[in-house]
Amino acid sequence: MKSNLRYEINYDVLDLSGEIDLHHSPELRKKILGSLKNKKSLLINMQEVSYIDSSGIASLVEGFQTAKENKLSYGLLRISEPAMQVLTLTRLDKVFSLYDSIDQFQSQLQA
Amino acid sequence: MIKAISNLGSYAIETIEQIGRTFNLLLIIAWKMCLPPYQIFPIIKQIYFIGARSLTVIIISGATIGMVLGLQFYNTLERFGSVGVLGSAVALSIIRELGPVMTALMVVGRAGSAICAELGIMRITEQVDALECMAIPPDKYLVAPKLIAGIVSVPLLNFVFNVVAIGGGYFVGVIMLGVGEGSYVNGMIDSVVWGDVRLGMVKSIIFGMLITLICCAKGFYLHLSQYGSQGAEGVSRATTDAVVISSVSVLFFDFLIGALMS
Amino acid sequence: METANAIEIRDLDVDYGSRRILSDINIDIRQGEIMVIMGGSGSGKSTLLRCILGLKKPSAGHIYMLGTDICHTSNKKLYGLREQIGVAFQGGALFTSMTVAENIQLPLREHTNLDENTIQIMTRIKLDMVNMLPYENLMPSELSGGMKKRAALARAIIMDPKLLFFDEPSAGLDPITSAELDELIVMLKESMKMTIVVVTHELESVFAIADRIAILGEGQLVQVGTPEEIKSSTDERVTGLLNRTPRKNNVDKDVHIERLTRDKE
Repeated sequence: MKSNLRYEINYDVLDLSGEIDLHHSPELRKKILGSLKNKKSLLINMQEVSYIDSSGIASLVEGFQTAKENKLSYGLLRISEPAMQVLTLTRLDKVFSLYDSIDQFQSQLQA
Repeated sequence: MIKAISNLGSYAIETIEQIGRTFNLLLIIAWKMCLPPYQIFPIIKQIYFIGARSLTVIIISGATIGMVLGLQFYNTLERFGSVGVLGSAVALSIIRELGPVMTALMVVGRAGSAICAELGIMRITEQVDALECMAIPPDKYLVAPKLIAGIVSVPLLNFVFNVVAIGGGYFVGVIMLGVGEGSYVNGMIDSVVWGDVRLGMVKSIIFGMLITLICCAKGFYLHLSQYGSQGAEGVSRATTDAVVISSVSVLFFDFLIGALMS
Repeated sequence: METANAIEIRDLDVDYGSRRILSDINIDIRQGEIMVIMGGSGSGKSTLLRCILGLKKPSAGHIYMLGTDICHTSNKKLYGLREQIGVAFQGGALFTSMTVAENIQLPLREHTNLDENTIQIMTRIKLDMVNMLPYENLMPSELSGGMKKRAALARAIIMDPKLLFFDEPSAGLDPITSAELDELIVMLKESMKMTIVVVTHELESVFAIADRIAILGEGQLVQVGTPEEIKSSTDERVTGLLNRTPRKNNVDKDVHIERLTRDKE
């Protein structure tokens, strides 16, 4: 897994790529929760994710819950096909807010 | 005739195999215990099961044995006019012999049978295989905590047994039969030496290991024994065997250690 | 090294004492497929599964799992390999001293350093996948047979294994639960890209899930093929299994009378 955190004014974008498995998800969790701790909304770019296992999904879920508690926006951007399949299998595709572009997320933030 | 000889032979082979497996298990566990991860919580749980849960039966049997000894020794010693040594007689027989042996036998009956049945059931319901397939070594995960708990709890229970039994002897000798309190206590203090206590401790540590090892091995290797394919009946037979073999070994080793150490 | 085959079984012979259980078995299981090993009772299919899992040592032959020969490898390598597989046993084999959730979390707690929250969420995700979420705090003794099987499946997939083994998934289940499990197995293959080996004798679920089928009969490999190939097979032992024809024993009459009257040894 590779990840890169980009800082925008009122939100962060976390770009993920590669395989996210049991070995990587503690790092992913730390990044997601770290960003949310700074009271900033978070958009996770999942376009380049070739594989995500349930520990990765669990980290995403925990981030979602934390964002909700802190009334922050939390979204997933351009989910790759393999990741989408896992989300569907775990019935989480209806839970997360999914975005096709950063602009869409920004307009959601302003609304 | 040939059938009888061949039966005898296969019985002998099976027995030797079992002894080999049992000691092999001990070696494997001794080796694996040196490697992390260390299982502190399961050991405490097993000490609770083998040790703390056996406390009632140890206290009751200790008090009874102490009282019986007090009564019997009093009757015998009275004929020789030497009831003054009642305290030493009771204390020495408890500390050197009866304490370790009775404690071990009580633990076999209460915890040993349960250990054997538990492991046997885990074996026939594929729980041991499941552990193996999860890459969790079942000998270390299941047997090691029980073995350590046995080695730790039996000497502690032995200590409790000794205290209660000597108290029982005191109750019968001093309070009921009127032996002088001073002669009971002082006689005991004068005659019991460190060597006696050490003998009792060594015995109970070895017994603790022996009985948990035998009971564990009987259940854990159920599938390899002749009862392996008999399901629930196999478990009950293995448990019976485990109790009988460990009780007999306790008595045999009691003699052996006594002969070697004195 | 990644090979196209998840499991390769080569010239496998297995004996119990002096009795030969399996002889000369050769099967390839490809990555990402559902292979169903099928056969009647006593065909040796359970023994084959135990060999693949490394629980029984074969007398001869090789089994390559993800490229490693598990019959001739160190214990350490075998354990490393086993962290990548999941096994759901026939009766569930849940640990009776733990709740359902604790059972499922056990591999995670033993093998990973994941955060407690992650472990909780993963457990719930898997329990939800097998429709067992309401029962997470029950003890295995409080579950029905079908629930035990589903909990065992959840435990088998908790580490997201590359290889999943399932022993008799639908035996003793009602048709609806059984169909749900079949659907789940297919979904696991598709979305988690698992290779799945199912051992069963239940015909209905076999054709619902199998990519390929291996049929065992009396210790020998009868046929390996796609469901269509198996259906159109003319082999008597295959059609017998599919059409549920009772086995006929055409025994010579002298042999038969000898068997009935022979003295006990």
